[in-house]
Amino acid sequence: MAQKPKVDPHVGRLGYLQALVTEFQETQSQDAKEQVLANLANFAYDPGNYQYLRQLQVLDLFLDSLSEENETLVEFAMGGLCNLCADRANREHILQAGGVPLIVNCLSSPSEETVLSAVTALMGLGSPGARPHPELTARPVVQCMLRFSLSASARLRNLAQIFLEDFCSPSQVAEARSWRADAALGIPLPRAEAPQQP
Amino acid sequence: MASSGGQVGGVFDHHVQRAVCDSRAKYREGRRPRAVKVYTINLESWYLIIQGVPAVGAMKELVERFALYGAIEQYNALDEYPAEDFTEVYLIKFLNLQSARIAKRKMDEQSFFGGLLHVCYAPEFETVEETRKKLQERNAYVARMTKNKDHYVTKKHKDAKDFRGDFHSKTSGFPAASLNTSSGNSDLCLPYSSELPLCYFSPKCKCSSGEHGDRPSNSSQDGRNFDETLGHCDHCDSLQKMQMKTLQNSLACCGAQQALTPSEAVDRFMPRTTQLQERKRRRADDCKRDALPEACAGSSEAMIGPQLPDIPKVDMHDDSLNTTANLIRNKLKEVRSKRNFKRRFGYKAKWRIICRNFSIVILFFPFLIFR
Repeated sequence: MAQKPKVDPHVGRLGYLQALVTEFQETQSQDAKEQVLANLANFAYDPGNYQYLRQLQVLDLFLDSLSEENETLVEFAMGGLCNLCADRANREHILQAGGVPLIVNCLSSPSEETVLSAVTALMGLGSPGARPHPELTARPVVQCMLRFSLSASARLRNLAQIFLEDFCSPSQVAEARSWRADAALGIPLPRAEAPQQP
Repeated sequence: MASSGGQVGGVFDHHVQRAVCDSRAKYREGRRPRAVKVYTINLESWYLIIQGVPAVGAMKELVERFALYGAIEQYNALDEYPAEDFTEVYLIKFLNLQSARIAKRKMDEQSFFGGLLHVCYAPEFETVEETRKKLQERNAYVARMTKNKDHYVTKKHKDAKDFRGDFHSKTSGFPAASLNTSSGNSDLCLPYSSELPLCYFSPKCKCSSGEHGDRPSNSSQDGRNFDETLGHCDHCDSLQKMQMKTLQNSLACCGAQQALTPSEAVDRFMPRTTQLQERKRRRADDCKRDALPEACAGSSEAMIGPQLPDIPKVDMHDDSLNTTANLIRNKLKEVRSKRNFKRRFGYKAKWRIICRNFSIVILFFPFLIFR
């Protein structure tokens, strides 16, 4: 849900987004970075802003933020990408910018929201009509999804099941299932399993 | 009232109400104080959890309140959900995701029977099929919106091209003309009101009102960008409509090769001075039409506020009575225009003030004449 900022009518949407991007690049405060990134990620929910976001290279900003140390920034950036991936033009841009490996890395994040957003983003990138990308259904990814489909988290379980049913062929799933689970090369082992319920 | 079968109990991170952020920069402060949170399609759901409901047996009222935002498919109390003392937790499932979104936005932090509700999404209650449907709806929505936008951009691009081509034509047709020949001169034809949004939404110029001068230099080099941004800026619907109207009006004017006059369609966006001049001109036209010297004299004064309705003229089939009636009417107008409410004429001032309707004036005539 996009936030509604108090916009000076003389600045306009593009100007406001530009101000956000500038602040993100210049500020030293982690709080401000988180707030701005969350703001941009929420703007990415509305298709009306996609032109501006592409123009301001916010997609690249999100991809770069996936490598941040701050887990909150990674979560917000991944949320932004998840919101953006529903659009065909954004998908092309992310694929061309080599975003798939970065998103696949986020599958092992300790934050459940980050993992959920990453799975949804991968599904968005693999949508019918988009250029098929072999990395999306590579064996490590499929194995990861198989693991998620057994998770205690209902949300993760549902998403993983949809990924396996709609974006993987049965042979890919069978092959991944027959392969040993600890040989999932290419995806760093998660620090913990998907978060359990307290 | 059956549960959907999702697991109950336990508090998830996304159910927890986060603290409001109070360290935002001024320019990014919203109308309401909000926490720092990102909403994705994964988080949104038909299912809403409502915490903080006072335990006074008000489930019916709660459901009725939420039903204002859309049809509710099912609802039930979550007895095992950890809740504060004397409060209950309810689960409501809407038929429509949009209804759930609106209900969540409107009802969160609202007062209900003395308590503050905390409303959050509960996607963990969804089935696989429901999650799949949610993702498909989201993709369809985005595809629809971007397709409409592309269509609108193409249309505006085409309109802008047609407009530029027509500026150089002497006829009122719409011949297709190349962009190059007309781009440099397109500025001249655009009325005042179009200057405003072009500067704000051009990617090259800074978004400040003092940058109008950049636009003519942008037109040839950034003509294509200008067209794209002109189409892409849907920040303000009224500005868009204004652009369409001003473009259409300019098209109509250009054919006649006249100086552009503000038309009715752009009255809203005329500057105040032009509006006052326009009003004066219309009053002068009315004055010539009505041939009333008083009205024309009045039009030269600065009129502020709405004009009072004129006293209706009634023919009394008698010359002397008509003359008297006209005199009284004119006097009333004079009194009204001078705002002179002094009681110079005693009892005559009394009926003059109270009777604006001419039929009442007629009633007093016999008393005046035959006193």
